Amino acid sequence: MGITTTHYWTNLIRLLRGDRVLEPLVASYCVTPYCNLNCRYCEDYGARRNASAQTQPLPLAEAKRLLTIIRQAADSLIFTGGEPLLYPDFDSMAAFARQDLRFRSLTLLSNSTLLPNHLDVLRYLTRLVISLDTVDAQAWDQTLRAEPGTAQTVINTIDSIAQSKPKRLTLIVHCVLAPETLPQARDVLDFCTARGILFSCSPQSVNNWPRYELMVAEDYAAFIAHLIELKQHGAPILGSLPYLRLMLDLQPYPCYPLLMPRVLPDGSLAYPCRPIERGGTAHGGRINLLECGSWAEAMRRAVSHYGLPPLTCGSCYQQCYVEPSLMQAQPLALLREVVSFPLSQRADIRTFAPG
Amino acid sequence: MPDTSRVIVVGAGIAGLTAALHLAERGLRPLVLEADERCGGRLKGGPQVVLNHAGQTWRFGTEHGVHGIWSPYRNLQAMWARHGIRPVLVPARGEEWVLGAGRIIRRAEVGRAIRESWVPAPFHYLGLFARPRFLAMVTLPDIFAMAAVLATLLAALSIDPLAEEQPLAGMTLKDFCRGWTPTLVAFFAGLARNALPDNPRDMPASGFVAFLRFYTLLRRDAWAFSYLPTNGGASVIEPMASVLSAQGGQVITRACVMQLDHQPNGWRVTWQQNGESHSAQAEHVILAMDAPSVEALLRANPDTSEVAARLRLPAGRRTATVRLWFDRAPRPPRSEAGILTGDFTLHNFFWLSRIYDEYIRWSRSTGGSALEAHIYGPPQLIAEPDASLLARAIVDVNRAWPGLKRHLIHSVLARNDATHTLFQVGLPDEHLGVVTPWPRLFCCGDWVRDRSPAMFLERACVTGVKAANAVLTELGLEAWPLLPYPQPEPLARQFELSMYQIRKSMRWLR
Repeated sequence: MGITTTHYWTNLIRLLRGDRVLEPLVASYCVTPYCNLNCRYCEDYGARRNASAQTQPLPLAEAKRLLTIIRQAADSLIFTGGEPLLYPDFDSMAAFARQDLRFRSLTLLSNSTLLPNHLDVLRYLTRLVISLDTVDAQAWDQTLRAEPGTAQTVINTIDSIAQSKPKRLTLIVHCVLAPETLPQARDVLDFCTARGILFSCSPQSVNNWPRYELMVAEDYAAFIAHLIELKQHGAPILGSLPYLRLMLDLQPYPCYPLLMPRVLPDGSLAYPCRPIERGGTAHGGRINLLECGSWAEAMRRAVSHYGLPPLTCGSCYQQCYVEPSLMQAQPLALLREVVSFPLSQRADIRTFAPG
Repeated sequence: MPDTSRVIVVGAGIAGLTAALHLAERGLRPLVLEADERCGGRLKGGPQVVLNHAGQTWRFGTEHGVHGIWSPYRNLQAMWARHGIRPVLVPARGEEWVLGAGRIIRRAEVGRAIRESWVPAPFHYLGLFARPRFLAMVTLPDIFAMAAVLATLLAALSIDPLAEEQPLAGMTLKDFCRGWTPTLVAFFAGLARNALPDNPRDMPASGFVAFLRFYTLLRRDAWAFSYLPTNGGASVIEPMASVLSAQGGQVITRACVMQLDHQPNGWRVTWQQNGESHSAQAEHVILAMDAPSVEALLRANPDTSEVAARLRLPAGRRTATVRLWFDRAPRPPRSEAGILTGDFTLHNFFWLSRIYDEYIRWSRSTGGSALEAHIYGPPQLIAEPDASLLARAIVDVNRAWPGLKRHLIHSVLARNDATHTLFQVGLPDEHLGVVTPWPRLFCCGDWVRDRSPAMFLERACVTGVKAANAVLTELGLEAWPLLPYPQPEPLARQFELSMYQIRKSMRWLR
């Protein structure tokens, strides 16, 4: 039984006791704050914020020490950014995580523009998530605010990886649903279905909430309902049914942000979650994992300084927090995912849909 | 100062600012007139309190006392998010019920028990009886009375006073809760008191049923809520006013509207500001004040007085807010808010040192704690001198949290005008809706008649959007869609339909 499974059962017991300090199921490490694209909906990083990045990436030696600390708490890791491949030693870092630390699941979230120069890294990964909101290269270029032709490179890269079918690597295309690109999301879905690529999506977030224009759009509701139906019929769609239903009507949900802790580029843990930490209030902040030396000590200091994590927060509907929370709080829904869907498509407790 | 404007909004509370923002987003340049020196109505910020403590000077904001943003406040939060001004809210962890009877003080956590109950709605309150502390608070008659409580809740499922425009005339909470014990009546009145600031004898049944249905009866998670991270003025009202200005709207404060004159092309609005009289012409006017002010304005003007004389608008209630600072924290730490019933003078309490940013930082630095408590009446109690009310509050706090005795370091009492609506549903020809009997004159606010199930801040927002939509539609511009509310839980929905059918057939039998 892996550490994630142990944590899942431990967390269930803690929830029954009313304890909200839960063990992580998967950790997310933001390798670098820098990005080479400038997606117009990006709220966190993006090239326009490169010059004002508040945290700097760690040197490789420090990053390895950080990964060692993260490994104490989780055996599933998501590399994210910015664009993680902008980190100069990313390949070495991924190799260290896979070969030395033996993370069972390694996911890379990338815009894929730099991927052709890093194809070797694929052998260390278990999942590769590439963002694509439309298969119309011109429209995608506008969203990315990139040089003409960038989007075509992304689409070609996805195509090429899908055709090469690397062993033990699951390819996922993640689509941000925005009112402007919503009609094209169906094309992305068709593109993925035709190539056997897993499709994942999340609504565009504005101020930590799904964008208003989406929530009042009949097209959005129709698309999510379509996804639910397709998923029930075995289409390669990532994202559990409870998550998709939640995205439809925005019900409050019990949130357990510590299930997917986010580690920032400088090695600090965003406690209890990124939205609250970014809010700059007294209810959350950063705890530097390298200074603490261990995951347990970092959590002890965080809880002691900022208090217990919230519950049914309602501050965000970000997939990375929603899905683990739903699966942890609803064991029967998780069981249904396990029974109903193949391994790659279900909301496995260590490989949730990316957000 | 403009002499003409296409739209004038009178009142810069949540309803008025919402209406103005939605108009400004469609390219209109609304003029907002606010009688107070600050925008916000019940969410406005108050004067600062300066506290010298532990060798430092600390400054704290004050306010009316509105803190909670409930999960069903969807349109309000969506509007804030759309403009990038939605604050990172502070999720509520638990609410405590403190029951006082002489020297005996009993307490139990009830908020989490309701929203996290394992029993589906509408029976989720039964989950309270699985809590030993709750059981220790109630007596055997209370437990026997639970049958009557459930029967009443099912009756509440059978009727939707807002959607059916059913005023339940003459009925109060006391009538609605026949067969309940005083403890249970006090408990439910305590849950509702922030929205319905009165004692059970005078709490309108239509308002109480609407409250139950919106906040708790149909879904367990409807009771999930968060707090604003600091006073409403700083956290949401000032940002809303800034966005409005950036979009071309204008807010004039200390502008007390005295007269509305009907003109062929709209209305001439006259207001007093700093002793001087001003007026402006508008094609459309939206009244976004509290109900007593709207009633007074309409009755005072010849063009509206005749119809206004027939209106029966919900009353406002004067309330008082007490803030107390202590040099230590209560031990052990409990829920950050709750209700006080029994023989307490105070009704609601909030540990600001666990909610508000500036209070938390002070508390972490000094080890102190700060409590806000509300007094909702009765009127003769509110009329007592400040010193008397404060003394009562301090006695109550010393009883409820004996560990804080002799640790009080500062206290402030604030009195609120009669602007807190005692919501009730009125008959269509007596209760003003968004569309009024007068052309090009609209209303919005948490007291306005409307079929939406929303209450309190969400109702102010929804009616604000609807008032803006009414203007936009008349001008041939695109109206704003509203977000729907989640469906009731399946069992609650089933009971709702069944109870409605039973009610209809009983009427047929009669």
